[in-house]
Amino acid sequence: MSQQSNKKHPYAWLWILLAVALVAVCLEVIPSIFNFSPKPSGIAKVLFPDKEIAVDSDSIAVDTVPPVIAHEPDTSAHTILFIGDSMLDGLSPRLAAYAAASGHTLYSVVWYSSSTEIWGKSHRLTEYIQKVSPTYIFICLGANELYVKDIEEKRTPFIREMLAEIDTIPYLWIGPPNWVEDTGINKMIADNTAKGSYFKSDGMTFERRTDGAHPTAASAIEWMDSIVRWMPEHSNHPIKMITPEQRTARPEKIFIHQPGEK
Amino acid sequence: MDFSSLPSALESLPNTLGSLFTYHREAPLIFSSGLFWVLFVCFIPLYALMRRRKWQMLVFVIAFSLYFYYKCSGWFFLLLVSTSVIDWFISRAMVQIESSAGRKWLVALSVVISLSILGFFKYANFFLWNWNNMVEGNFQPLTLILPVGISFYTFQSISYIVDVYRKRIAPASTWGEYLFFLSFFPALVAGPIVRAENFLPQIRENRHANHQEIFGGLWLILVGVIKKAVIADYIAQYNDLIFASPGHYTGFESLMGIIGYTMQIYCDFSGYSDMAIGLALIMGFRLDINFNFPYKSKSLTEFWRRWHISLSTWLRDYVYIPMGGNRKGTFRTYINNFLTMLIGGLWHGAAWKFIFWGGMHGVGLIINKLFRPLTSRLDGKAWFDLLAGCITLVYVSLLWVFFRAESFNDAIIIISTIFTDFSPQCILPFIEARALWVGLMAFIIVMHYLPQSFHDRAASDFINSPWIFRLLVLLIVIQLVIEFSEADIAPFIYFQF
Repeated sequence: MSQQSNKKHPYAWLWILLAVALVAVCLEVIPSIFNFSPKPSGIAKVLFPDKEIAVDSDSIAVDTVPPVIAHEPDTSAHTILFIGDSMLDGLSPRLAAYAAASGHTLYSVVWYSSSTEIWGKSHRLTEYIQKVSPTYIFICLGANELYVKDIEEKRTPFIREMLAEIDTIPYLWIGPPNWVEDTGINKMIADNTAKGSYFKSDGMTFERRTDGAHPTAASAIEWMDSIVRWMPEHSNHPIKMITPEQRTARPEKIFIHQPGEK
Repeated sequence: MDFSSLPSALESLPNTLGSLFTYHREAPLIFSSGLFWVLFVCFIPLYALMRRRKWQMLVFVIAFSLYFYYKCSGWFFLLLVSTSVIDWFISRAMVQIESSAGRKWLVALSVVISLSILGFFKYANFFLWNWNNMVEGNFQPLTLILPVGISFYTFQSISYIVDVYRKRIAPASTWGEYLFFLSFFPALVAGPIVRAENFLPQIRENRHANHQEIFGGLWLILVGVIKKAVIADYIAQYNDLIFASPGHYTGFESLMGIIGYTMQIYCDFSGYSDMAIGLALIMGFRLDINFNFPYKSKSLTEFWRRWHISLSTWLRDYVYIPMGGNRKGTFRTYINNFLTMLIGGLWHGAAWKFIFWGGMHGVGLIINKLFRPLTSRLDGKAWFDLLAGCITLVYVSLLWVFFRAESFNDAIIIISTIFTDFSPQCILPFIEARALWVGLMAFIIVMHYLPQSFHDRAASDFINSPWIFRLLVLLIVIQLVIEFSEADIAPFIYFQF
């Protein structure tokens, strides 16, 4: 392409430049280099959405709710361990309020920017199980893995590792609050967890913080309330959850891990 | 992309098109969004076809601008149209009326209308809140939504009317020309504040952008996108933690949050300005530079000549000078400076923290002027320039804390933690844990302090590079944005003004 013609019809060349770039990004043709897999743009999804976006601010993705499991609620006082990524910033204070009202003791472990891979590799879950001896575990992980390509192949071993560490302790895995369509993390967690142990948050609509990802404090409270309402009929091990008078509370102890920690 | 899903995608096309013409308050159309670029790719060839016929071009760009504003602010685009109608009729009337009193009444009428609309949407609840506090009243706050960019186009409207009144400019020859100026989409929602005296002649001239301008514009857009969608949005995630929980972090972490916010607000706002100026340049319109490496300033006076230049010159021309400027003695100069900065603070938002922020900048400017006889003798000495630069930067950064924090008390806590709990042992773990944040901060600081010639050279190299190289750069920037975007794009900080 000669520089001369380039200068003669600058708008045409600019248009071709933008159009080629847009098509490349839409078709996601940018190749993986070494271990780096480019994130999909999502532009194609914006232009050609293939499903309606839920509009109910407190809705549950009904199609993913497992059949009703008739379990008697466990009314004993539990030691709850709540582990996960930065989504705990919003969820943990509300769960702490429920725990306080219901006689449970809550320990929260926030590992910023963490993923199933990070937890699965670190065996930190075992450390915390030994440390606080939980009788119930909540997990909120997956938000940092919405974009991972070939996720089943890459992450299934780590989820299985985490579930093996949990062993027989009853647990509930809270799925990520999708802000874009994921590449399979929700399905993969649902496939690997026991029936009634997975709350799929995809399909709910949240008010987001300015980062566009994390629910606002108020929205996170509604999120936790939805989980608690879901538990009696759908969880395979519902525990006592009395609606607290206070909106939030502090867990017994919060453990924090920064991104990049081993 | 999975082509097998194409039939169902086509089925959803009517929904998609419907969504394109629907206002979504939670997802305003902004320059760094993918949708904007899809629309811009459609816009460019039509603009290129129509630009030779001025009227077609005017109508097309106005339609696109109003659509853009509708996607940002919903039906408030009708408010913009109404403002343009009122301004245009008043400006035409001013030309026809000979009497000075009549002209004064007209300019006052226009300014009062513009400021009333701005005041109602932006300051009504602030007024009610203060009134309730003063008289222990119980007026309920009004349910108001601030139209996006109203502060920017209101100032454009006022400067146009005042300039016509002062006979500095002839009024727009047609309403279409004026609406084009007021609604020009690159500068509509977050500036720069365009002056009619610079812009109207460019519409009349209807000049066409050349290769240098079109690809120079693209370069500016890419720089702006990197600043906003990569750097500002990423570093904001850490800064938000610090400002959300004052006192929960060590002094070192708080200090990093303060420096981080200092760079974040610069990248966010100057990034938007770069994109706006670049888009306008692609269309053949030259908008003045709005940020000129402000943190290089060696005094607060210089800072305001480099930061948000279109606002500071507007305040100078339409507030400071009409109040008397520096023509009424030293004391009045200081008072005028202070009051101008108070108004500048209030323009940024309806809250006491913004007024405090503006007032403290006013105080800083007064101190700067008081010491000028002494400092002017030292100007140019390397040690003094360095010291003056550091003092200015520290002062500006500390005031950003009050600008950003939820309350005055939060700001004090964040700042005082630096002195009471610095915790130097956190430095290495911090760098280790937040390596990318530190890397991006180092990158933007280095870029900021590089000489202008470096940036000019980079722009020139890009403009004159082979087409394929430009495509590669564009792809890299787009992919960087995608990689760094955790989600939907965070709104521009200056949208709220």
